Amino acid sequence: MFQLKISLFSQTKALENKIDLFHDKIMDVAMTFKKAIAVFLREQRSEDYRKLCKQIKNIEHDADGLRRDIENKLYAQNLIPDLRADVLELVENLDRIINRFDEVAYKFYIERPDFPEEYHAKMKELCEQVSDCAENMAIASRAFFRDFSTVRDYSQKVYFIESESDLTSGKMKEAIFDSDMPLANKLQLSGIISEVADIADIAEDCIDELLIFTIKRDI
Amino acid sequence: MDLSYFIFLSSGLFLGWSLGANDAANVFGTAVGTKMLRFKTAAVIASLFIILGAVCGGAGTSRTLAELGSVNELAGAFMVALSAALAVYWMVSSGTPVSTTQAIVGSIVGWNFYSNHHTDTTILAKIVSTWLICPVLSGILAVGIYWLVKRVLKHSKTHIIRQDLYTRIGLVLACAFGAYALGANNIANVMGVFVDAAPFHEVAIGNITFSGTQILFFIGGLAISCGVFTYSQKIIKTIGNDVMSMSPIIAWIVVVAQSLVLFLFASQSLQYFLHAHNLPALPLVPVSSSQAVIGAVVGIGMAKGGRGIRWSLLGKVALGWVTTPVISALVCFIFLFVLENVFNLVVYH
Repeated sequence: MFQLKISLFSQTKALENKIDLFHDKIMDVAMTFKKAIAVFLREQRSEDYRKLCKQIKNIEHDADGLRRDIENKLYAQNLIPDLRADVLELVENLDRIINRFDEVAYKFYIERPDFPEEYHAKMKELCEQVSDCAENMAIASRAFFRDFSTVRDYSQKVYFIESESDLTSGKMKEAIFDSDMPLANKLQLSGIISEVADIADIAEDCIDELLIFTIKRDI
Repeated sequence: MDLSYFIFLSSGLFLGWSLGANDAANVFGTAVGTKMLRFKTAAVIASLFIILGAVCGGAGTSRTLAELGSVNELAGAFMVALSAALAVYWMVSSGTPVSTTQAIVGSIVGWNFYSNHHTDTTILAKIVSTWLICPVLSGILAVGIYWLVKRVLKHSKTHIIRQDLYTRIGLVLACAFGAYALGANNIANVMGVFVDAAPFHEVAIGNITFSGTQILFFIGGLAISCGVFTYSQKIIKTIGNDVMSMSPIIAWIVVVAQSLVLFLFASQSLQYFLHAHNLPALPLVPVSSSQAVIGAVVGIGMAKGGRGIRWSLLGKVALGWVTTPVISALVCFIFLFVLENVFNLVVYH
């Protein structure tokens, strides 16, 4: 009986750690992405950028493993039956954000978009914003698991930063299409900007769902 | 030992089975309905503790029922229990949660009418008043616990996974306590009318001595357990989610509130303690676990703003509370007539 209790508590602790670790991965990927794009703008497809892309890929891979583990444990141990579907949805949504960071970083690697010097500051600003957005989404999600009364505070931050990123990406696209560069180049840069800004949009969609889950989480 | 006693006791066992099917579902129905406990786990825990409660704490409420009408012939006791069991069975079959207490009280009053025995209106009023006090008290307790739990959860910031573990442990403990309280409070409904004619002698196991009444209550407890295992799942569907959909924590609060109410109305020790300290004590009366559960669910529903409560279903449940004693009394009256005039059995003296 005592052993059973110990085992139950240790299993619970292990799953808690996995969920925490999964959230850490979002923080990691957001910060690495920010760093990687700065390197790309400075050095294009350099060895450093390749290493950072690889790092992002590894984080994405680890996050996938953690997601599967969390999902399996939730089902196998029949945990949180009332909120399980919501938690699974939340974990899937967070994983989508991580995947998107990986896809965008890889797109930079493959397409090698040539951002003129004058757009570098704005591009860094956009990356900063989408990373902040994802980080705040991760904090809100972490709060959902421990202190759901603060989810609303972080969600407001996500909404605010997402609208800021929309403005930044809009201004960049406007400036690019007003410039003299070839149309093919304009379309490529515009597409890449949309992909980067899309990360913040995904975070916003996630936070919308998270707020609904939070209402259900209240007893 | 007279075999005829056991033939007459069969109706009590049938009533016990009905109680197990209906009332025991109230104890763990919410836990099973919210998928926090497996039916089998809950049923094993409930059965063990119902028997324990019946044997160790069932004496107090039996006395009150005996005061309402001391059914003095075995054939009469048989019919009183059978009428109550039939009334409960019909209601259970139609999917309506009913009160075994109301059924047995209706039957005893039916026997009193038939045998021209005086019904002590003071005792009857005391019992009927608990039908109102029980759900109200359960509702108040549930709201109190609800606010307390809400506050604790807000400040403790427990992880959702750990909270799930604590809730499960809490539900197991609450189910055990609820089952004990149900056994102690409701065994009088099942076996109360057979106590006077019980042929059992004292049995000593080690240092513990069991009286004849306790052995009778043990048999009644076994019958209740049969009801738990064979038929309570159908009722769980109604209690679990129909009146108001609930979270596992709410399920725990509901079980704790109703268990406390059942315990308050059954505990002799608590009554002695309160009397000894010049405090008002609740009467030892068998109360309805269905009413306690509904009271708790409605209490919490109202604390949450009353939006989630399905009042129409609640109306159906309340109608069952009124019709159960009436049906039970009528059935008892008619069947006593049949028993006496067709089978030539003495049903009272």
